[in-house]
Amino acid sequence: MLYTPWEVKVTKVIEETPTIKTFVLKPERNFSFKTGQFVELTYPGKGEAPFTPSSDPNVKDEFEITIMNVGRVTSLFHKLSSGEKLGVRGPYGNGYPVDSFVNKEILIVGGGVGLAPLRSLIFTLFSRIEQFKKIVICYGARTPQDIVYKYQIESWLKFKNVHLRLTVDRGDENWRGNVGVVTTILNDLPLLTKQAVGVVCGPPIMMKFTTLRLLELGFLPENIYLSMEKNMSCGLGKCGHCRLGKYYVCKDGPVFRFADINEIEDIWD
Amino acid sequence: MMKRIYAITKKAFLNFLEKLSSVYNVVIPSQIENNYRWINFNGEFNFNDYRCISSIRQFFFPCQELISINYKDVELKKRPFCIVGAKSCDIQSLNIQDYVFLTDEIDGSYNFFRKNNIIISSDCRSFKEVCFCLNLNIKPYPEANFDLNLSLVDDLYLIEVGSEKGEKLIKENSNFFQEPPDTWLEKNLKLRKNVEEQLSKQLISQGLVNREVLYQLVKSGYENDIWQEEAEHCVECGACIMNCPTCHCFLIFDDEKDKNLLRGRTWDGCQYKNFAKVAGGANPLLFRSKRLRNRYLKKFEFFPDRLGIYACTGCGRCIECCPGKIDLRNIFKRLEEDNKLSKL
Repeated sequence: MLYTPWEVKVTKVIEETPTIKTFVLKPERNFSFKTGQFVELTYPGKGEAPFTPSSDPNVKDEFEITIMNVGRVTSLFHKLSSGEKLGVRGPYGNGYPVDSFVNKEILIVGGGVGLAPLRSLIFTLFSRIEQFKKIVICYGARTPQDIVYKYQIESWLKFKNVHLRLTVDRGDENWRGNVGVVTTILNDLPLLTKQAVGVVCGPPIMMKFTTLRLLELGFLPENIYLSMEKNMSCGLGKCGHCRLGKYYVCKDGPVFRFADINEIEDIWD
Repeated sequence: MMKRIYAITKKAFLNFLEKLSSVYNVVIPSQIENNYRWINFNGEFNFNDYRCISSIRQFFFPCQELISINYKDVELKKRPFCIVGAKSCDIQSLNIQDYVFLTDEIDGSYNFFRKNNIIISSDCRSFKEVCFCLNLNIKPYPEANFDLNLSLVDDLYLIEVGSEKGEKLIKENSNFFQEPPDTWLEKNLKLRKNVEEQLSKQLISQGLVNREVLYQLVKSGYENDIWQEEAEHCVECGACIMNCPTCHCFLIFDDEKDKNLLRGRTWDGCQYKNFAKVAGGANPLLFRSKRLRNRYLKKFEFFPDRLGIYACTGCGRCIECCPGKIDLRNIFKRLEEDNKLSKL
């Protein structure tokens, strides 16, 4: 049936933060995904949950999923160690329309574990970096220790046309960077906001205020791409859980242009 | 295509059902006081004047089923159903279920039952106080989505063929069927017209809202206090979603038994508190008022937007089964009233 998972093996567990881990998974069959698409990951016999892979889609033999420990199933994933087996099915949804970003300036705004799907996008953009005018990455975490991908984030600056800004809600004694929510690092952006593309992923409240800020800055609603978080379960627009207006987030999303959803009531709930 | 109509005596019809029992799980309505419920065919059959308490959804989409064992699909070698006495409101709901389960990716289990089940529908000869199919432009007699349709005329049945599958059944069992005299056909038209007129009178006396505006009313009534006020009476039992013929939501669940990994699905619905809850804790449908409104948005806005039809066939089951007496007809009346007032 459509909803039957197949096996993947955990080959590595990377501790990102006290509450976030990245799992490197080796699929037992050919598996590929487009950046921004999601999978349903099964903890055997206990349940499944939707995640967008955080790895480079160009890497075919393994993929990575970054998971925050927030609920019943995610807490089970956090107990995994390498060698154990999980179930997976997918990929589902539309993914980021990377081809339509060509020759454009791209602003990427991430909050917390929301950087996970964006990292996959960042790797995708890097793999054809010459096609994009500029990439500005803005990332906010709660505290310095909540920053994900610390071990590689600085290396993203290896390309000349990539800019990186970090912020934390609360600093510590070693933090020299910006303190404040992610919208506080969106001033004086080094790009022409009327033509640029904005890609936002994070908790609903962060997505809401970031979107409002981007609109203020001159971004066009059709150039703002949002990853909507809903309770995607079947992944195929059948089980009904993730309805958003006339859309199902699992099938019509999870990536939506703000222009396509801004008339739907209560999208940030 | 010319509609083929045959005739069959009550006795021959029993023999026909008996024969179908060798291949199909034949389910028929059984009367208890003023209601009908589905039972397995046991040699008897009495024509049901109106729909059963529960819908026919269960025969296409079991309320609980196994999907896989140890990540292997379970085999679909179930016994298909022959559903006798399904009414117009029931079989019209298949338009919604087909759209959900057969568009793009095909749901194997639903497809199995949809392909292999036999639908022997029948005309309504009466109706319940909660029936309002006509209000949604659905006649109290089947016009589509059936293999064979039964009309009771005097003490004989007319059988109309609605599909190739139905035609095949007639051909294979031709000894049971006969040509109907014209007087029967005319009689049947009169009976149909009579029920339609009676139901129409009932609907006029109930003062129902015109179907043309239902879409607009749920849209414009988004912020209306009605949802809050009506939801006060909701006891979150889920009867409305379990009995609705167009509800299709389901929950995928995992379990482990004797070291076997089981995956199944079970009916779910938006009136349950955690339906839309995400792992991070956010729940856009936390309150009963939002969930009640969501049900109406799904049926009267989402499906018209996606498919061009309302996901309501006027069967009235949600009204009949609600312990809180929440009444769809009343909700639309209130929305319309408020809409008029706001325009003054």
